[in-house]
Amino acid sequence: MNVQNKVMTLEEAISKFVRDGDCIAFGGFVTNKKPYAAVREIIRQGKKDLYIETGAAAGDVDMLIGAGCVKVLFNSYVANSGFSQVCRRFRKYVQEGKILWEDYSLDVQTILYHAAALGLPFVAVKNMLGSDMVNKWGIPEEVWRNDPKLPSRKLIVDRNPFNPEEEFCFIPTPKIDVAIIHVQKAAPDGTARIEGPVFNDIELAMAATNCVITCEELVHPEELRHEPWLNQIPNVVPDAVVHVPYGAHPSQCANYYDYDALFFRMYDRISGDDELFKQFLDEWVYGPKDHFEYLDKLGASRLINLRVRPGYGYVPGLKRR
Amino acid sequence: MAEWTTKQMMAVAVARQIKDGQVCIVGTGLPLIGTALAKNTTAPNAVLIFETGMIDGGPQEVPTSVSDLRISYRASALWPQYRYFGFQTNSLKKNKVDIGFLGGAQIDPYGNLNSTAIGDYYHAAVRFTGSGGANGIATYCDTIIIMQHQKRRFCEKVDYITSPGWIDGPDGRAKLGLPNKGPQVVITELGIMRFDEKTKRMYLAEYFPGVTPQQIQDNTGFELDISRAVESEPPDAEVLHILTTKIDPQRLMV
Repeated sequence: MNVQNKVMTLEEAISKFVRDGDCIAFGGFVTNKKPYAAVREIIRQGKKDLYIETGAAAGDVDMLIGAGCVKVLFNSYVANSGFSQVCRRFRKYVQEGKILWEDYSLDVQTILYHAAALGLPFVAVKNMLGSDMVNKWGIPEEVWRNDPKLPSRKLIVDRNPFNPEEEFCFIPTPKIDVAIIHVQKAAPDGTARIEGPVFNDIELAMAATNCVITCEELVHPEELRHEPWLNQIPNVVPDAVVHVPYGAHPSQCANYYDYDALFFRMYDRISGDDELFKQFLDEWVYGPKDHFEYLDKLGASRLINLRVRPGYGYVPGLKRR
Repeated sequence: MAEWTTKQMMAVAVARQIKDGQVCIVGTGLPLIGTALAKNTTAPNAVLIFETGMIDGGPQEVPTSVSDLRISYRASALWPQYRYFGFQTNSLKKNKVDIGFLGGAQIDPYGNLNSTAIGDYYHAAVRFTGSGGANGIATYCDTIIIMQHQKRRFCEKVDYITSPGWIDGPDGRAKLGLPNKGPQVVITELGIMRFDEKTKRMYLAEYFPGVTPQQIQDNTGFELDISRAVESEPPDAEVLHILTTKIDPQRLMV
Protein backbone atom coordinates (compact mmCIF):
# COMPACT_ATOMS: atom_id res chain seq x y z
CA MET A 1 0.00 0.00 0.00
CA ASN A 2 1.26 3.45 -0.90
CA VAL A 3 1.13 5.25 2.42
CA GLN A 4 2.58 8.47 1.03
CA ASN A 5 0.18 9.55 -1.68
CA LYS A 6 -3.37 8.29 -2.06
CA VAL A 7 -4.61 11.32 -3.99
CA MET A 8 -6.59 10.53 -7.11
CA THR A 9 -9.41 12.01 -9.13
CA LEU A 10 -13.00 11.16 -8.26
CA GLU A 11 -13.30 9.24 -11.55
CA GLU A 12 -10.26 7.13 -10.65
CA ALA A 13 -11.35 6.50 -7.05
CA ILE A 14 -14.88 5.38 -7.97
CA SER A 15 -13.79 3.22 -10.91
CA LYS A 16 -11.01 1.64 -8.87
CA PHE A 17 -12.91 0.90 -5.64
CA VAL A 18 -16.64 0.68 -6.46
CA ARG A 19 -17.59 -2.48 -8.37
CA ASP A 20 -21.01 -3.62 -9.52
CA GLY A 21 -22.64 -5.68 -6.77
CA ASP A 22 -20.58 -4.13 -3.96
CA CYS A 23 -21.89 -3.18 -0.54
CA ILE A 24 -21.30 0.59 -0.30
CA ALA A 25 -21.66 2.71 2.85
CA PHE A 26 -22.09 6.47 2.82
CA GLY A 27 -21.20 8.82 5.67
CA GLY A 28 -23.15 11.88 6.78
CA PHE A 29 -26.71 12.20 8.09
CA VAL A 30 -29.77 13.25 6.04
CA THR A 31 -28.95 16.84 5.00
CA ASN A 32 -25.49 17.01 6.60
CA LYS A 33 -22.14 16.08 5.00
CA LYS A 34 -23.45 13.54 2.51
CA PRO A 35 -20.78 12.59 -0.08
CA TYR A 36 -22.88 13.84 -3.00
CA ALA A 37 -19.97 14.37 -5.43
CA ALA A 38 -19.13 10.67 -5.12
CA VAL A 39 -22.80 9.72 -5.48
CA ARG A 40 -23.05 11.67 -8.74
CA GLU A 41 -19.87 10.01 -10.03
CA ILE A 42 -21.21 6.53 -9.17
CA ILE A 43 -24.33 7.34 -11.21
CA ARG A 44 -22.22 8.75 -14.07
CA GLN A 45 -20.21 5.53 -14.17
CA GLY A 46 -23.44 3.48 -14.25
CA LYS A 47 -22.62 1.23 -11.28
CA LYS A 48 -25.24 -1.50 -10.80
CA ASP A 49 -26.70 -3.84 -8.16
CA LEU A 50 -25.25 -1.97 -5.17
CA TYR A 51 -26.09 -2.94 -1.59
CA ILE A 52 -26.42 0.30 0.39
CA GLU A 53 -25.66 0.89 4.09
CA THR A 54 -25.83 4.38 5.50
CA GLY A 55 -27.93 4.96 8.63
CA ALA A 56 -30.01 8.08 8.08
CA ALA A 57 -30.13 8.43 4.30
CA ALA A 58 -31.66 11.11 2.14
CA GLY A 59 -31.32 12.54 -1.36
CA ASP A 60 -27.98 10.75 -1.81
CA VAL A 61 -29.53 7.29 -1.66
CA ASP A 62 -32.73 8.50 -3.33
CA MET A 63 -30.73 9.61 -6.41
CA LEU A 64 -28.88 6.28 -6.55
CA ILE A 65 -32.20 4.40 -6.38
CA GLY A 66 -33.77 6.57 -9.08
CA ALA A 67 -30.72 6.18 -11.33
CA GLY A 68 -31.05 2.39 -11.16
CA CYS A 69 -27.83 1.72 -9.21
CA VAL A 70 -29.37 -0.01 -6.17
CA LYS A 71 -30.25 -3.66 -5.62
CA VAL A 72 -30.69 -3.71 -1.83
CA LEU A 73 -31.20 -0.89 0.68
CA PHE A 74 -30.61 -1.53 4.38
CA ASN A 75 -33.02 1.09 5.57
CA SER A 76 -33.81 3.04 8.68
CA TYR A 77 -34.71 6.41 7.16
CA VAL A 78 -34.71 8.14 3.76
CA ALA A 79 -35.79 11.79 3.74
CA ASN A 80 -34.41 15.26 3.15
CA SER A 81 -35.77 16.18 6.57
CA GLY A 82 -37.52 19.53 6.56
CA PHE A 83 -37.84 19.52 2.78
CA SER A 84 -39.55 16.23 2.00
CA GLN A 85 -41.33 13.89 4.41
CA VAL A 86 -40.16 10.79 2.53
CA CYS A 87 -37.75 10.73 -0.40
CA ARG A 88 -39.90 10.13 -3.44
CA ARG A 89 -37.82 7.75 -5.57
CA PHE A 90 -37.32 5.55 -2.48
CA ARG A 91 -41.07 5.55 -1.77
CA LYS A 92 -41.95 4.72 -5.38
CA TYR A 93 -39.35 1.96 -5.77
CA VAL A 94 -40.34 0.28 -2.48
CA GLN A 95 -44.07 0.57 -3.19
CA GLU A 96 -43.56 -0.92 -6.65
CA GLY A 97 -41.13 -3.60 -5.43
CA LYS A 98 -38.37 -2.36 -7.76
CA ILE A 99 -35.62 -2.74 -5.16
CA LEU A 100 -35.06 -5.06 -2.23
CA TRP A 101 -35.06 -3.38 1.17
CA GLU A 102 -34.76 -4.35 4.79
CA ASP A 103 -35.93 -2.23 7.75
CA TYR A 104 -33.90 -1.56 10.87
CA SER A 105 -33.95 1.01 13.61
CA LEU A 106 -31.35 3.75 13.15
CA ASP A 107 -29.78 2.98 16.52
CA VAL A 108 -29.41 -0.68 15.51
CA GLN A 109 -27.66 0.30 12.29
CA THR A 110 -25.31 2.53 14.29
CA ILE A 111 -24.58 -0.25 16.78
CA LEU A 112 -24.02 -2.70 13.90
CA TYR A 113 -21.52 -0.33 12.27
CA HIS A 114 -19.70 0.13 15.55
CA ALA A 115 -19.54 -3.65 16.04
CA ALA A 116 -18.39 -4.14 12.43
CA ALA A 117 -15.64 -1.58 13.04
CA LEU A 118 -14.51 -3.77 15.95
CA GLY A 119 -14.61 -6.88 13.76
CA LEU A 120 -17.50 -8.46 15.69
CA PRO A 121 -19.86 -10.95 13.97
CA PHE A 122 -23.17 -9.84 15.53
CA VAL A 123 -24.74 -7.69 18.21
CA ALA A 124 -27.31 -8.55 20.88
CA VAL A 125 -29.83 -5.73 21.45
CA LYS A 126 -33.25 -5.16 23.00
CA ASN A 127 -34.05 -2.77 20.16
CA MET A 128 -36.60 -3.99 17.60
CA LEU A 129 -38.09 -6.58 20.02
CA GLY A 130 -41.87 -6.25 19.93
CA SER A 131 -41.78 -4.50 16.57
CA ASP A 132 -42.53 -5.81 13.09
CA MET A 133 -38.88 -5.33 12.15
CA VAL A 134 -38.50 -8.71 13.88
CA ASN A 135 -41.55 -10.37 12.29
CA LYS A 136 -41.67 -9.03 8.73
CA TRP A 137 -38.53 -9.31 6.63
CA GLY A 138 -38.31 -7.09 3.58
CA ILE A 139 -35.70 -9.36 1.98
CA PRO A 140 -37.26 -12.84 1.49
CA GLU A 141 -35.81 -15.63 3.65
CA GLU A 142 -34.51 -17.58 0.65
CA VAL A 143 -32.57 -14.53 -0.52
CA TRP A 144 -31.01 -14.18 2.94
CA ARG A 145 -30.05 -17.87 2.76
CA ASN A 146 -28.69 -17.92 -0.78
CA ASP A 147 -27.16 -14.52 -1.51
CA PRO A 148 -23.41 -14.76 -0.80
CA LYS A 149 -23.34 -11.01 -0.05
CA LEU A 150 -25.75 -11.51 2.87
CA PRO A 151 -25.64 -13.37 6.19
CA SER A 152 -28.00 -16.36 6.38
CA ARG A 153 -30.72 -14.50 8.29
CA LYS A 154 -31.84 -10.98 9.12
CA LEU A 155 -31.84 -11.77 12.86
CA ILE A 156 -32.54 -14.31 15.56
CA VAL A 157 -34.57 -13.61 18.72
CA ASP A 158 -33.11 -15.73 21.50
CA ARG A 159 -32.19 -15.85 25.16
CA ASN A 160 -29.07 -14.29 26.59
CA PRO A 161 -26.73 -17.31 27.01
CA PHE A 162 -25.46 -15.83 30.28
CA ASN A 163 -28.90 -15.02 31.68
CA PRO A 164 -31.66 -17.16 30.13
CA GLU A 165 -34.36 -14.94 31.62
CA GLU A 166 -33.49 -12.15 29.21
CA GLU A 167 -34.51 -12.06 25.53
CA PHE A 168 -32.40 -10.32 22.93
CA CYS A 169 -32.37 -9.70 19.22
CA PHE A 170 -29.18 -11.13 17.69
CA ILE A 171 -28.32 -9.29 14.47
CA PRO A 172 -25.36 -10.04 12.16
CA THR A 173 -23.02 -7.16 11.32
CA PRO A 174 -22.83 -5.98 7.69
CA LYS A 175 -19.93 -6.79 5.40
CA ILE A 176 -19.16 -3.45 3.82
CA ASP A 177 -16.91 -3.36 0.75
CA VAL A 178 -16.41 0.38 0.42
CA ALA A 179 -17.10 3.34 2.71
CA ILE A 180 -17.31 6.78 1.14
CA ILE A 181 -16.81 9.57 3.66
CA HIS A 182 -16.73 13.30 3.07
CA VAL A 183 -14.45 15.27 5.43
CA GLN A 184 -13.34 18.85 5.84
CA LYS A 185 -9.58 18.30 5.67
CA ALA A 186 -7.40 15.44 4.46
CA ALA A 187 -3.71 15.00 3.72
CA PRO A 188 -2.36 13.03 0.72
CA ASP A 189 -1.39 10.13 3.01
CA GLY A 190 -5.03 9.65 4.09
CA THR A 191 -4.99 11.42 7.47
CA ALA A 192 -8.42 13.01 7.80
CA ARG A 193 -10.07 15.56 10.06
CA ILE A 194 -13.82 15.83 10.49
CA GLU A 195 -15.07 19.11 11.91
CA GLY A 196 -18.52 19.28 13.46
CA PRO A 197 -20.63 16.16 14.02
CA VAL A 198 -19.06 12.84 12.97
CA PHE A 199 -22.26 10.71 12.88
CA ASN A 200 -21.33 7.10 11.86
CA ASP A 201 -18.44 8.15 9.63
CA ILE A 202 -15.50 6.76 11.59
CA GLU A 203 -17.25 3.42 12.18
CA LEU A 204 -18.07 3.03 8.49
CA ALA A 205 -14.54 3.95 7.43
CA MET A 206 -13.12 1.32 9.79
CA ALA A 207 -15.71 -1.39 9.05
CA ALA A 208 -15.31 -1.26 5.26
CA THR A 209 -12.70 -3.23 3.32
CA ASN A 210 -11.81 -0.07 1.40
CA CYS A 211 -12.34 3.58 2.25
CA VAL A 212 -12.60 6.52 -0.12
CA ILE A 213 -12.22 9.94 1.49
CA THR A 214 -13.51 13.01 -0.32
CA CYS A 215 -12.45 16.32 1.17
CA GLU A 216 -13.08 20.05 1.12
CA GLU A 217 -9.39 20.83 1.45
CA LEU A 218 -6.32 18.83 0.62
CA VAL A 219 -3.73 20.00 3.14
CA HIS A 220 -0.03 19.59 3.88
CA PRO A 221 0.42 16.56 6.21
CA GLU A 222 2.07 18.74 8.86
CA GLU A 223 -1.10 20.81 9.09
CA LEU A 224 -2.96 17.77 10.51
CA ARG A 225 -0.08 16.15 12.40
CA HIS A 226 0.55 19.23 14.46
CA GLU A 227 -2.58 18.46 16.54
CA PRO A 228 -3.24 14.77 15.88
CA TRP A 229 -5.86 14.56 18.63
CA LEU A 230 -8.18 16.54 16.35
CA ASN A 231 -8.00 13.89 13.60
CA GLN A 232 -10.56 11.06 13.54
CA ILE A 233 -9.28 8.93 10.68
CA PRO A 234 -5.58 7.98 10.62
CA ASN A 235 -3.59 7.57 7.41
CA VAL A 236 -3.66 3.76 7.60
CA VAL A 237 -7.44 3.59 7.02
CA PRO A 238 -8.23 5.38 3.71
CA ASP A 239 -7.27 3.96 0.30
CA ALA A 240 -8.09 7.04 -1.75
CA VAL A 241 -8.14 10.76 -1.08
CA VAL A 242 -10.13 12.93 -3.45
CA HIS A 243 -10.18 16.72 -3.44
CA VAL A 244 -13.75 17.90 -4.14
CA PRO A 245 -14.54 21.34 -2.67
CA TYR A 246 -18.31 21.63 -2.03
CA GLY A 247 -18.38 17.86 -2.43
CA ALA A 248 -21.34 17.59 -0.04
CA HIS A 249 -23.54 20.09 -1.91
CA PRO A 250 -26.56 20.36 -1.54
CA SER A 251 -26.06 19.11 2.05
CA GLN A 252 -24.27 20.97 4.89
CA CYS A 253 -20.59 20.82 5.76
CA ALA A 254 -19.60 22.19 9.19
CA ASN A 255 -17.30 25.24 9.09
CA TYR A 256 -17.68 25.39 5.30
CA TYR A 257 -21.24 25.74 3.99
CA ASP A 258 -24.92 25.45 4.89
CA TYR A 259 -27.40 23.27 3.03
CA ASP A 260 -28.85 24.54 -0.24
CA ALA A 261 -32.48 24.65 0.90
CA LEU A 262 -33.81 25.79 -2.48
CA PHE A 263 -32.00 22.92 -4.21
CA PHE A 264 -33.66 20.47 -1.79
CA ARG A 265 -37.07 22.05 -2.48
CA MET A 266 -36.44 21.69 -6.22
CA TYR A 267 -35.37 18.06 -5.70
CA ASP A 268 -38.54 17.34 -3.72
CA ARG A 269 -40.64 18.65 -6.63
CA ILE A 270 -38.84 16.88 -9.48
CA SER A 271 -38.22 13.55 -7.75
CA GLY A 272 -41.96 12.82 -7.53
CA ASP A 273 -42.21 12.64 -11.32
CA ASP A 274 -40.46 10.05 -13.54
CA GLU A 275 -39.89 12.42 -16.47
CA LEU A 276 -38.75 15.39 -14.34
CA PHE A 277 -36.37 13.13 -12.41
CA LYS A 278 -34.85 11.90 -15.68
CA GLN A 279 -34.38 15.51 -16.79
CA PHE A 280 -32.78 16.29 -13.41
CA LEU A 281 -30.23 13.50 -13.87
CA ASP A 282 -29.47 14.70 -17.41
CA GLU A 283 -29.03 18.26 -16.24
CA TRP A 284 -27.24 17.86 -12.88
CA VAL A 285 -25.50 14.46 -13.01
CA TYR A 286 -24.82 13.31 -16.59
CA GLY A 287 -24.53 16.88 -17.99
CA PRO A 288 -21.49 18.12 -16.04
CA LYS A 289 -18.57 15.86 -17.02
CA ASP A 290 -17.08 16.09 -13.53
CA HIS A 291 -17.55 17.73 -10.13
CA PHE A 292 -15.91 20.98 -11.18
CA GLU A 293 -18.31 21.44 -14.11
CA TYR A 294 -21.12 20.81 -11.59
CA LEU A 295 -19.77 23.67 -9.45
CA ASP A 296 -19.51 25.91 -12.52
CA LYS A 297 -23.14 25.16 -13.27
CA LEU A 298 -24.19 26.10 -9.72
CA GLY A 299 -22.21 29.34 -10.02
CA ALA A 300 -19.87 31.21 -7.71
CA SER A 301 -22.42 33.55 -6.12
CA ARG A 302 -24.77 30.69 -5.21
CA LEU A 303 -21.92 28.83 -3.51
CA ILE A 304 -20.51 31.89 -1.76
CA ASN A 305 -23.93 32.69 -0.33
CA LEU A 306 -23.94 29.26 1.33
CA ARG A 307 -20.61 29.86 3.17
CA VAL A 308 -21.24 29.55 6.91
CA ARG A 309 -20.91 32.72 8.95
CA PRO A 310 -18.02 32.34 11.42
CA GLY A 311 -19.30 32.24 15.00
CA TYR A 312 -22.69 30.88 13.92
CA GLY A 313 -21.76 27.69 12.11
CA TYR A 314 -24.57 28.22 9.58
CA VAL A 315 -26.01 31.02 7.44
CA PRO A 316 -28.29 33.14 9.65
CA GLY A 317 -31.51 34.00 7.85
CA LEU A 318 -30.74 31.60 4.99
CA LYS A 319 -33.55 31.55 2.41
CA ARG A 320 -35.26 28.25 3.22
CA ARG A 321 -38.57 28.51 1.40
CA MET B 1 -58.34 35.90 25.77
CA ALA B 2 -55.46 35.67 23.31
CA GLU B 3 -55.99 34.33 19.79
CA TRP B 4 -54.05 31.22 18.90
CA THR B 5 -53.70 28.59 16.17
CA THR B 6 -54.00 24.84 16.61
CA LYS B 7 -50.26 24.35 16.08
CA GLN B 8 -49.52 26.97 18.73
CA MET B 9 -51.86 25.25 21.21
CA MET B 10 -50.05 21.96 20.51
CA ALA B 11 -46.65 23.58 21.09
CA VAL B 12 -47.90 25.00 24.39
CA ALA B 13 -49.28 21.57 25.34
CA VAL B 14 -45.85 20.04 24.62
CA ALA B 15 -44.11 22.72 26.70
CA ARG B 16 -46.43 21.99 29.65
CA GLN B 17 -45.28 18.34 29.77
CA ILE B 18 -41.62 19.31 30.37
CA LYS B 19 -40.46 19.81 33.95
CA ASP B 20 -37.46 21.97 34.78
CA GLY B 21 -34.16 20.12 34.59
CA GLN B 22 -35.50 17.21 32.54
CA VAL B 23 -33.40 15.59 29.82
CA CYS B 24 -35.46 15.23 26.65
CA ILE B 25 -34.69 13.37 23.42
CA VAL B 26 -36.02 15.74 20.82
CA GLY B 27 -36.80 15.48 17.12
CA THR B 28 -37.40 18.41 14.83
CA GLY B 29 -40.78 20.03 14.30
CA LEU B 30 -43.26 20.44 17.15
CA PRO B 31 -41.20 18.56 19.78
CA LEU B 32 -38.33 20.98 19.29
CA ILE B 33 -40.62 24.03 19.22
CA GLY B 34 -42.46 22.85 22.33
CA THR B 35 -39.35 21.99 24.33
CA ALA B 36 -37.65 25.23 23.25
CA LEU B 37 -40.74 27.05 24.52
CA ALA B 38 -40.48 25.17 27.83
CA LYS B 39 -36.83 26.20 28.13
CA ASN B 40 -37.81 29.82 27.58
CA THR B 41 -40.65 29.77 30.11
CA THR B 42 -41.18 27.18 32.85
CA ALA B 43 -38.21 24.81 32.36
CA PRO B 44 -35.07 26.92 31.78
CA ASN B 45 -32.79 24.03 32.79
CA ALA B 46 -34.31 21.41 30.48
CA VAL B 47 -31.62 19.69 28.40
CA LEU B 48 -32.31 18.85 24.77
CA ILE B 49 -30.46 15.90 23.27
CA PHE B 50 -30.65 14.55 19.72
CA GLU B 51 -30.09 11.13 18.15
CA THR B 52 -27.29 12.59 16.01
CA GLY B 53 -25.23 12.91 19.20
CA MET B 54 -25.62 16.69 19.46
CA ILE B 55 -26.07 17.28 23.19
CA ASP B 56 -27.59 20.35 24.88
CA GLY B 57 -27.27 22.75 21.96
CA GLY B 58 -29.19 26.03 21.93
CA PRO B 59 -30.59 26.55 18.45
CA GLN B 60 -31.24 30.21 17.63
CA GLU B 61 -33.07 29.34 14.41
CA VAL B 62 -35.50 26.48 13.82
CA PRO B 63 -33.54 23.45 12.53
CA THR B 64 -34.96 21.34 9.71
CA SER B 65 -33.53 18.04 10.92
CA VAL B 66 -31.78 16.50 13.90
CA SER B 67 -28.53 16.81 11.94
CA ASP B 68 -28.99 20.51 11.12
CA LEU B 69 -25.91 22.47 12.25
CA ARG B 70 -28.34 24.96 13.84
CA ILE B 71 -28.69 22.36 16.63
CA SER B 72 -24.96 22.19 17.29
CA TYR B 73 -24.82 25.90 18.17
CA ARG B 74 -23.24 26.12 21.64
CA ALA B 75 -23.74 22.39 22.24
CA SER B 76 -22.08 20.61 25.16
CA ALA B 77 -20.61 17.95 22.89
CA LEU B 78 -21.07 16.39 19.45
CA TRP B 79 -20.86 12.68 20.14
CA PRO B 80 -20.38 9.97 17.56
CA GLN B 81 -23.81 8.39 17.15
CA TYR B 82 -22.93 5.14 18.88
CA ARG B 83 -22.01 7.10 22.03
CA TYR B 84 -25.45 8.68 22.02
CA PHE B 85 -27.18 5.32 21.57
CA GLY B 86 -25.08 3.83 24.38
CA PHE B 87 -26.21 6.71 26.59
CA GLN B 88 -29.84 6.03 25.61
CA THR B 89 -29.51 2.32 26.38
CA ASN B 90 -27.76 2.92 29.70
CA SER B 91 -30.37 5.52 30.65
CA LEU B 92 -32.27 2.59 32.17
CA LYS B 93 -29.70 2.15 34.93
CA LYS B 94 -28.40 5.71 35.09
CA ASN B 95 -31.91 7.20 34.96
CA LYS B 96 -30.56 10.06 32.84
CA VAL B 97 -33.26 10.38 30.17
CA ASP B 98 -36.67 11.63 31.28
CA ILE B 99 -38.65 11.69 28.08
CA GLY B 100 -38.37 11.12 24.33
CA PHE B 101 -40.63 12.28 21.52
CA LEU B 102 -42.24 10.09 18.87
CA GLY B 103 -44.65 10.51 15.97
CA GLY B 104 -46.17 8.25 13.37
CA ALA B 105 -48.78 7.61 10.72
CA GLN B 106 -50.90 5.23 12.86
CA ILE B 107 -51.38 4.60 16.57
CA ASP B 108 -53.43 1.96 18.41
CA PRO B 109 -55.10 2.10 21.87
CA TYR B 110 -51.88 0.92 23.56
CA GLY B 111 -49.65 3.51 21.90
CA ASN B 112 -48.00 1.15 19.40
CA LEU B 113 -46.86 3.28 16.47
CA ASN B 114 -46.46 2.75 12.74
CA SER B 115 -44.06 4.98 10.80
CA THR B 116 -43.16 2.39 8.16
CA ALA B 117 -45.98 1.48 5.76
CA ILE B 118 -49.76 1.67 5.28
CA GLY B 119 -51.38 -1.51 3.96
CA ASP B 120 -49.43 -4.68 3.21
CA TYR B 121 -45.78 -4.17 4.20
CA TYR B 122 -44.57 -6.05 1.10
CA HIS B 123 -46.79 -4.12 -1.32
CA ALA B 124 -47.36 -0.92 0.63
CA ALA B 125 -50.12 1.44 -0.40
CA VAL B 126 -48.05 4.23 1.16
CA ARG B 127 -44.48 3.79 2.28
CA PHE B 128 -42.93 6.05 4.93
CA THR B 129 -39.29 6.51 5.95
CA GLY B 130 -39.26 3.73 8.53
CA SER B 131 -38.06 3.92 12.11
CA GLY B 132 -35.31 6.50 12.13
CA GLY B 133 -34.31 6.54 15.79
CA ALA B 134 -37.90 6.04 16.98
CA ASN B 135 -37.75 2.32 17.75
CA GLY B 136 -34.79 2.74 20.11
CA ILE B 137 -36.48 5.60 21.96
CA ALA B 138 -39.67 3.49 22.24
CA THR B 139 -37.60 0.57 23.55
CA TYR B 140 -35.71 2.40 26.29
CA CYS B 141 -37.58 5.59 27.23
CA ASP B 142 -40.87 7.03 28.43
CA THR B 143 -42.35 8.92 25.50
CA ILE B 144 -44.58 11.78 24.42
CA ILE B 145 -46.29 11.01 21.10
CA ILE B 146 -47.39 13.73 18.68
CA MET B 147 -50.06 12.75 16.15
CA GLN B 148 -52.62 14.15 13.75
CA HIS B 149 -56.01 13.23 15.16
CA GLN B 150 -57.87 11.35 12.43
CA LYS B 151 -59.98 8.20 12.57
CA ARG B 152 -57.75 6.36 10.07
CA ARG B 153 -54.64 7.19 12.13
CA PHE B 154 -56.13 6.23 15.51
CA CYS B 155 -56.97 2.62 14.72
CA GLU B 156 -57.68 -0.60 16.60
CA LYS B 157 -54.65 -2.29 15.03
CA VAL B 158 -51.74 -0.62 13.25
CA ASP B 159 -50.60 -2.09 9.91
CA TYR B 160 -46.98 -2.39 11.11
CA ILE B 161 -45.46 -1.86 14.55
CA THR B 162 -42.38 0.32 14.11
CA SER B 163 -42.19 1.51 17.73
CA PRO B 164 -43.67 -0.65 20.48
CA GLY B 165 -45.98 1.01 23.00
CA TRP B 166 -47.66 -0.96 25.78
CA ILE B 167 -48.21 -3.81 23.21
CA ASP B 168 -51.55 -5.26 24.46
CA GLY B 169 -51.76 -4.28 28.10
CA PRO B 170 -49.93 -4.02 31.40
CA ASP B 171 -47.63 -7.04 30.90
CA GLY B 172 -47.28 -6.72 27.12
CA ARG B 173 -43.79 -5.34 27.20
CA ALA B 174 -42.44 -7.68 29.86
CA LYS B 175 -43.62 -10.72 27.85
CA LEU B 176 -41.50 -9.54 24.92
CA GLY B 177 -38.42 -8.73 26.98
CA LEU B 178 -38.88 -4.97 26.70
CA PRO B 179 -37.89 -2.57 29.51
CA ASN B 180 -40.72 -1.17 31.64
CA LYS B 181 -40.85 2.23 29.92
CA GLY B 182 -43.44 3.41 27.45
CA PRO B 183 -45.88 5.98 26.09
CA GLN B 184 -47.08 8.53 28.67
CA VAL B 185 -48.90 11.17 26.66
CA VAL B 186 -50.36 11.59 23.16
CA ILE B 187 -50.79 15.17 21.97
CA THR B 188 -52.92 15.96 18.91
CA GLU B 189 -54.51 19.08 17.46
CA LEU B 190 -57.67 18.21 19.46
CA GLY B 191 -56.40 17.33 22.90
CA ILE B 192 -54.25 15.21 25.19
CA MET B 193 -54.56 11.46 25.78
CA ARG B 194 -52.90 9.47 28.56
CA PHE B 195 -52.72 5.76 29.38
CA ASP B 196 -54.69 4.11 32.17
CA GLU B 197 -52.39 3.00 34.96
CA LYS B 198 -54.05 -0.44 35.25
CA THR B 199 -55.04 -1.33 31.67
CA LYS B 200 -52.43 0.76 29.78
CA ARG B 201 -55.21 1.69 27.36
CA MET B 202 -55.47 5.23 26.02
CA TYR B 203 -58.02 7.61 27.58
CA LEU B 204 -58.87 11.25 26.96
CA ALA B 205 -57.28 13.46 29.62
CA GLU B 206 -57.78 16.95 28.15
CA TYR B 207 -59.64 18.54 25.26
CA PHE B 208 -58.45 21.84 23.85
CA PRO B 209 -60.71 24.90 24.21
CA GLY B 210 -63.27 24.90 21.40
CA VAL B 211 -63.19 21.11 21.01
CA THR B 212 -65.68 18.66 22.61
CA PRO B 213 -64.81 15.20 23.97
CA GLN B 214 -67.41 13.70 21.60
CA GLN B 215 -65.64 15.35 18.65
CA ILE B 216 -62.45 13.60 19.74
CA GLN B 217 -64.22 10.23 20.05
CA ASP B 218 -65.66 10.80 16.55
CA ASN B 219 -62.14 11.26 15.19
CA THR B 220 -60.82 8.15 16.95
CA GLY B 221 -61.08 4.70 15.35
CA PHE B 222 -61.42 2.88 18.67
CA GLU B 223 -63.43 3.26 21.87
CA LEU B 224 -61.86 6.04 23.94
CA ASP B 225 -62.72 6.61 27.60
CA ILE B 226 -63.76 10.29 27.65
CA SER B 227 -65.26 10.27 31.15
CA ARG B 228 -62.18 11.71 32.85
CA ALA B 229 -61.55 14.53 30.40
CA VAL B 230 -61.18 18.18 31.40
CA GLU B 231 -60.76 21.28 29.24
CA SER B 232 -57.15 22.45 28.77
CA GLU B 233 -56.09 25.85 30.02
CA PRO B 234 -55.83 28.18 27.02
CA PRO B 235 -52.31 29.49 26.30
CA ASP B 236 -51.63 32.88 27.82
CA ALA B 237 -50.63 35.89 25.77
CA GLU B 238 -47.07 36.10 27.09
CA VAL B 239 -46.30 32.48 26.22
CA LEU B 240 -47.73 32.98 22.71
CA HIS B 241 -45.60 36.10 22.32
CA ILE B 242 -42.43 34.17 23.21
CA LEU B 243 -43.46 31.35 20.86
CA THR B 244 -44.02 33.55 17.82
CA THR B 245 -41.32 36.15 18.34
CA LYS B 246 -38.46 34.21 19.90
CA ILE B 247 -38.89 30.47 19.26
CA ASP B 248 -40.17 30.51 15.68
CA PRO B 249 -40.06 34.07 14.33
CA GLN B 250 -39.75 32.78 10.75
CA ARG B 251 -43.00 30.87 11.41
CA LEU B 252 -41.61 27.68 9.91
CA MET B 253 -43.56 25.50 12.34
CA VAL B 254 -46.27 27.49 14.13
